[in-house]
Amino acid sequence: MIRIEHLARSFQAPPAPGKSMPFKRAPATLVQAVRDVNLFAPNGQITGLLGPNGAGKTTTLRMLAGLIKPDAGRMTVDDVDVARDPLVALARLGVLSDSRGLYPRLTARENIVYYGALQGMTRDAAQERAESLACMLDMSALLERRTEGFSQGERMKTALARALVHDPANIVLDEPTNGLDVIATRALRDSLRLLRSPQGGSKCIVFSTHIMQEVERLCDGVVVVAHGRSVAEGTVAELLARTGKTDFEEAFVQLAFVSAELAEQGAVA
Amino acid sequence: MKFLSVAGTVFRKEIIDSLRDKRTMLVVLVSGVLLGPLMLIALSSLVSTLESHAEKREVYVSGLTHGPSLRNFLERQTWVVKEAPADFEARLRESRLGDPVVLLPADFESAIEHGEAPVVEVVSDSANRQSSSALPRVLQLLNGFNRERAGLTLATRGVSGAVLESMQVQERDLASTQTRSAQITGMLPFLVMLAVLYGALNAAMDTTAGERERGSLEPLVMNPAHALVLVLGKWAAVASVGMLVALLNCLSFLPAQWLLRSDALQAMFQFGSREVVLFLLLLLPFAAALSALLMAISIVCKSVKEAQASATFLVLAISLLPLMTLFNQSGDAPWHLWVPALAQNTLMTRVIKGEDLTLLQFAVPFLVCVVLTVAALSFVSYHLRRTSVK
Repeated sequence: MIRIEHLARSFQAPPAPGKSMPFKRAPATLVQAVRDVNLFAPNGQITGLLGPNGAGKTTTLRMLAGLIKPDAGRMTVDDVDVARDPLVALARLGVLSDSRGLYPRLTARENIVYYGALQGMTRDAAQERAESLACMLDMSALLERRTEGFSQGERMKTALARALVHDPANIVLDEPTNGLDVIATRALRDSLRLLRSPQGGSKCIVFSTHIMQEVERLCDGVVVVAHGRSVAEGTVAELLARTGKTDFEEAFVQLAFVSAELAEQGAVA
Repeated sequence: MKFLSVAGTVFRKEIIDSLRDKRTMLVVLVSGVLLGPLMLIALSSLVSTLESHAEKREVYVSGLTHGPSLRNFLERQTWVVKEAPADFEARLRESRLGDPVVLLPADFESAIEHGEAPVVEVVSDSANRQSSSALPRVLQLLNGFNRERAGLTLATRGVSGAVLESMQVQERDLASTQTRSAQITGMLPFLVMLAVLYGALNAAMDTTAGERERGSLEPLVMNPAHALVLVLGKWAAVASVGMLVALLNCLSFLPAQWLLRSDALQAMFQFGSREVVLFLLLLLPFAAALSALLMAISIVCKSVKEAQASATFLVLAISLLPLMTLFNQSGDAPWHLWVPALAQNTLMTRVIKGEDLTLLQFAVPFLVCVVLTVAALSFVSYHLRRTSVK
């Protein structure tokens, strides 16, 4: 179970080149990456974090993983406060982040087992887990190969297995289908459905994406994020009903762009 | 306990990772092992050519026929007198001739007879190392001829030859055999330090800037482990590589000694177990501090390439600091021991010279290394999470 309340974070953007005089610093511009994001992801559900590019999805998930400190707001993972106990929260999270670099000189198995050991698992337990994950993700043939020269999909599977090695109750995936072909995307979807089901452990899954179809096919709940704000929340059907559209893409455009602008004006007024 | 096992996990992974980087590892280790022997062989062949040159007792004279009396004198001193080749100037310039040439004028013999002091030129090229090192010997020979002539002239007039020497000059060299050899082997500590630096360089960059470049740092710090623990594991691995190079390097001097071709150099260069132990006492903390510093420089860099550019500064400092002893002729100052690299260089040079060192002299650089390591590692662990996000 993951809960995010009123999360906010701004960054100092580097001054535009050419505009700054030599020896004189241009005034730093403040970019508000995340203004007010709220999200509740219960166990046994897949919650989609849907938003256009630059909406603040990755920043939100990085704050959840303790990489960036939020300016304001509160995040809990299974009721553990991320700000207060970041390491306890991390132990309950399995995060597939935006950057998913592997160690090219290690085999896929070694990459996975390394993370298992870092999570405090014994070597045997991590080995066993690597094999069962490989079965689930259909990558058993890859296990003993060095990850150098892996295809995009093979990398993605290895990174996912690595994130899930400690069997976390909460799974956070940042745009996992980026660069995957249809077959790999389908396989990933099946794996996530399995993890959501009671046999798979009723995991709490948060899934960030900008692809509508993914959300329609997979997510039980959706949080639409635009301009650093969560602008709508509900199931796909609820969001369709709310906007009065039959096409989810139309509904999304309405929610993400039109209502976001309204919200912006409201905030200014 | 968990702390240690996580650091151990990181350490094992980094060691496996750098051992699998076979090409880099091979270059580092081979250059580390071969450095000592190659350096010593080059030195010994230089010294032995100089020695064999001196043993040959040859002197080249141009216009030999003009000076039978000089020839007679030289041969009485058991020197082999040879007529210089016609193009001796060109040969000297091109280092094809390793001996200075004595130039006798055509009227040498008659001028000597009449006591007219003919001008005799001794031609050498100071850019030609062999000829210039042989020059003093030839000058001494010619002086001997002068003295003998003068002695004979005085004797015929009933004056003792002793009037020519109002005093006796005797040379006494205070340097021990080992200090003499230190002039030749003085660059060994410097080379060992550079080997340690290059040994640790790649590993240090790969575990910090390399992780950022690959995008593997962000997932790594998402594991529930303290940044400091991850950093300690990484540092232990990098420092081990540096220390391994230091160890191999020192041990390689032991067999290298047997390869020395010059007996004199062999007698002078004494590198035994005492020297190995003292070298390692200085080098191991140095390798540890250096690894930490390199990691601190690299962690703020986005790519290995950027890290290499930043590390140039450190490489330059380590190459230049030991030179300070060369520029500074006033000898070692106490503060030298507080400067990393300079301290190690100074003390290792003293170890080779066979001087006795006090515990304090080892304690100071050790302390400096510990402080540097702690400071650099805290810097890295402070930045690890921050820099993981590109």
